Amino acid sequence: MAANIIETSGLTRSYGDICALKPLDLRVAEGEWLSVMGHSGSGKSTLLNIMGGLDRPSGGSLRVGEEDLLALTEDGLARFRRDYVGIIFQQHHLVPYLSAVENVMLAQYFHSVPDEAEARSALERVGLGHRLKNRPGELSGGEQQRVCIARAIINSPKLLLGDEPTGNLDHKSTLMIMELLRELRAEERFTVIMVTHNQEVATWGDRTIYLDDGVLVREERNEQGES
Amino acid sequence: MNRRRWLFHLVIRTLAHRRGRTALLLAVLAMASSLATALGVVSFSMEKRVAEEVRKYGANLVIIPETARLDVGSGGLNFGVISEPVYLEQRRVEDALAQSGLKAEKSFHLRGALRFRKGDIMVEGVDFGEIRRLFSWWQIKGAWPTAGEAVVGSDLAARYGLKAGDTMELAGPEQTVKLRVSGTIATGGEEDGLLFLALPELQRVLGLDGRLSTVRLLVTAEGENLRQKAATLQAHFPGAKVSEVRQIARTSEGLLAKVKLLMALVTAVVLISAGSSVTGTMSTTVLERSKEIGLMKALGGTRWEVLLIFSAEAALLGLLGGVAGYLLGSAIAQFITKTVFAASSEVIPWFVCVSVGVSLFLALLGSLGPMISVFKLDPVRSLRGE
Amino acid sequence: MALAYKLIPLFLAWAGAVMVLGRGFPGRRPMVAVAGSAGYAGGLAATFLLVRFLPGDLPFGIIKDAVGAGIILMWGVSVAAVYRSTGRDVPLPWGERFAHTRLGAGICALATGILVGAICACRFTGADASVPVFLLLVLAAVVLACAVLAAERFFFSSLTMYPSGMTVALVAFLLLSSSSILRLDLFSPLTMKVMKFAHDFVHQFFESMLIPDHFFFNSFTWDFIGFFFGKQVGFWGALIIWFVPVLLVALAVNLVRLPAVAHIRQGAQRRKMLAAAIRERRSRLVVPALAAVIFAAAVYQSRFPSVEYWDPKPVSVTASPSGEIFIPKKGEIDLEDEKLHKYLFKQGGREARFFVLMAPSGQWTVDLDACAICKPDGYGQAEGAVLCYYCRTLIPLDTVGKPGGCNPVPVPFTAKDDGIHIDGLTLINRWGETVQATTRIKETGK
Repeated sequence: MAANIIETSGLTRSYGDICALKPLDLRVAEGEWLSVMGHSGSGKSTLLNIMGGLDRPSGGSLRVGEEDLLALTEDGLARFRRDYVGIIFQQHHLVPYLSAVENVMLAQYFHSVPDEAEARSALERVGLGHRLKNRPGELSGGEQQRVCIARAIINSPKLLLGDEPTGNLDHKSTLMIMELLRELRAEERFTVIMVTHNQEVATWGDRTIYLDDGVLVREERNEQGES
Repeated sequence: MNRRRWLFHLVIRTLAHRRGRTALLLAVLAMASSLATALGVVSFSMEKRVAEEVRKYGANLVIIPETARLDVGSGGLNFGVISEPVYLEQRRVEDALAQSGLKAEKSFHLRGALRFRKGDIMVEGVDFGEIRRLFSWWQIKGAWPTAGEAVVGSDLAARYGLKAGDTMELAGPEQTVKLRVSGTIATGGEEDGLLFLALPELQRVLGLDGRLSTVRLLVTAEGENLRQKAATLQAHFPGAKVSEVRQIARTSEGLLAKVKLLMALVTAVVLISAGSSVTGTMSTTVLERSKEIGLMKALGGTRWEVLLIFSAEAALLGLLGGVAGYLLGSAIAQFITKTVFAASSEVIPWFVCVSVGVSLFLALLGSLGPMISVFKLDPVRSLRGE
Repeated sequence: MALAYKLIPLFLAWAGAVMVLGRGFPGRRPMVAVAGSAGYAGGLAATFLLVRFLPGDLPFGIIKDAVGAGIILMWGVSVAAVYRSTGRDVPLPWGERFAHTRLGAGICALATGILVGAICACRFTGADASVPVFLLLVLAAVVLACAVLAAERFFFSSLTMYPSGMTVALVAFLLLSSSSILRLDLFSPLTMKVMKFAHDFVHQFFESMLIPDHFFFNSFTWDFIGFFFGKQVGFWGALIIWFVPVLLVALAVNLVRLPAVAHIRQGAQRRKMLAAAIRERRSRLVVPALAAVIFAAAVYQSRFPSVEYWDPKPVSVTASPSGEIFIPKKGEIDLEDEKLHKYLFKQGGREARFFVLMAPSGQWTVDLDACAICKPDGYGQAEGAVLCYYCRTLIPLDTVGKPGGCNPVPVPFTAKDDGIHIDGLTLINRWGETVQATTRIKETGK
């Protein structure tokens, strides 16, 4: 088995009195596709945000790659996000007044320098070569999600986080998106952590963990993912 | 595309997306900075003007009939009218001057209106020999007039399309006179709107033989000394008032100070209200765009980098507003000086820096509060839509 | 106290130079500290001795020449930097290699130290230049150097040094310190030189056109030609000479090609490298920018020196019926205090300003408060010299009273035991001849 890209031990997160994440020990291997399942409020989004460097844990230890996230400053976390992480959101969060290419270039800008040609080819890779200049409002949900994926992978992240990426999509689009992610993973070899409450989507991963009330209750390997 | 160009592109896109709000902010900033500019331009150019008038005024004493109200202002700065035409007796003036024993260069003036092509024009009768001595800055385009000739002020010449060599027929209450234009004069002062002809000729045409409206004197004295001489002279002119030219300037300085105070107050009020409206608009914008800000932070932008984008936006607005404010402010200044001082203000190019400075300061200061919230905004919560 | 205030720019320059050297030779900090301090002590001592045993302005001239050589070196280096940044190779490998050796670094630090020390020594004249002062100064300099080198490691980590930037920065600090001392000021003499050059040039090439109503040269063109006669041309010319190298260094930094990244397949990595290179390039611009600020400070010091001039208000004098002006040696004004005393003489609507001065040698001199070249802005007196307010030329007290150049125009007089006797008419006429001539030239020049 490959080296672990994420290692946590005793990771907690509490908001005031509410404990969103009970002490959690988790290891994610490099290149693994991990699905995280659970009810709303089970702490799965919190876990995702913490691993993506968007949120800080209240206690425990967390290592992603070579970085100890608890030791990083606010700006250090931002730099960690730009170098390590790509995020796909349920609501896409595309900037409404920028075209598809420009939305991708925004990620390039924060990472290093914008490069339009590269942004175009990334969009072509996700099958949006014909809609480069369209604003998000002119794209369908599936297309928007594909722009979001192009934006997430443009900086070659080691870690791709998905926060219910297919939550707003119909079945057909969901399948297309999952297929696309699988293809991209085969090429780019990033690690995927995907939060979902769709059992079918979860089975696309190598492994599924179940969270309930901030506690890891179950863990299972998926046959389909291994194939 | 490099980072700077991209930043500019992004800011332009943002501003274009919220057209209405951008226009509003621009208008507010332009208005505030235009008032500041107008204030600056008016006081700057008028102060310079007053100083210039005082300096170049060859004459330092002026004698006017007692009952005639002096037209307030000096040279080009006219704020009032002569009420009732009252005149000085030329002979008496000459006698009184001789009696006083004061050595002074003098110049006699008579003002009046003559009919020319269905309209009245202001004319002044002078002795051109005296004028050349006392008003050495007069520069005549053409030639100094001889008998039967006149000099036309540049504004007047432009209005009636007159040039050297033209003949004009002027009708007065007593006579009609035909004059050849020998040249035009431009001093930048009230002379530009007058027609000058020989004093005896005008006296004849107006039927005011031996009458004068003003006598200007150049006495070699200054300060306290000059005041004394003015007092000495005054004793010899019972029916007239001898005043120092500097006093006249002081009157216009007083008016200038009042106008400046008023404008300063208005500007202060406008600046404060503009600042708060910038704050209000910017806060709304930041609130509306909190998801965007959260996204930028999630994509790996540090707090400073995100702040830079928003500051660049404010700065660009400030810059544009400042430039617009300069243009508008120059126009306002022109309007104020035209209506209040009857003079045209200068166009001062470097005031664009002042205008842009005011506008930038306002834009950045006004968005200081919203910027702090941009800086502090937590990406997780804003992306969740809280 | 006043002296301590005047020492500020000197020590500021020293600290700056040490910082630049430390950053420029990061591996050789101790060596730089030792060589620099040794140079400082040496320069200080040598200048103290030179000033004591060599007469007149010679030591100051040597130091000025050395700093001037620095400016020329800076020009050479900056031009070479631009040339090299366009991708061509400069056949100067030995220079580059030498600067990287131990010896090179040492010599660089030593030379800088000597110059800074020599300049610093010029602040002290006469009895001030004693052994205790010397020891105190060296001690202060060494402590400052060590402190700067110790602190430098922790500050401005993004600030990188490179040969051309380092040269410019060092010269900037040298000029900052030299321009704080009136006798070492390089900017004013430079403006004078540029002005004279422009003057001569115009005279050489446009002599035939100096007729006011020349066919080609109407009054409009005269406005431009007039510029070459004014004081402005010197100022702007000198500014160009000082600042162009700085701009050239900045240009060279900007012209350097970005690294070739096309071979890197992964886009993100490629962009990252590009961004890093751009950031690096931008941080390199900090050095010329700072140097420009220091240059500006030096120019400012030179234009508005903090020296207080002795500049008395002219006292009105009148002539006796025989036309003779008499100024008593002892009276209201003590003439024998080795300071210039200004007088104003009016006669028949004409007037003349002049001054009486007893030089340290005991020699009396009476001169117009104007020279034959400049506008009659008058003279002020500063340590060991009088200064023309118009062109800011320093005239040593020994040479005041000799005609020519920017020296004040001497007036014949007789010094008796009771005081100075001057013929009023001669004075007025002399003023008329010289001053009228200069004003006329200036007026047509405008």
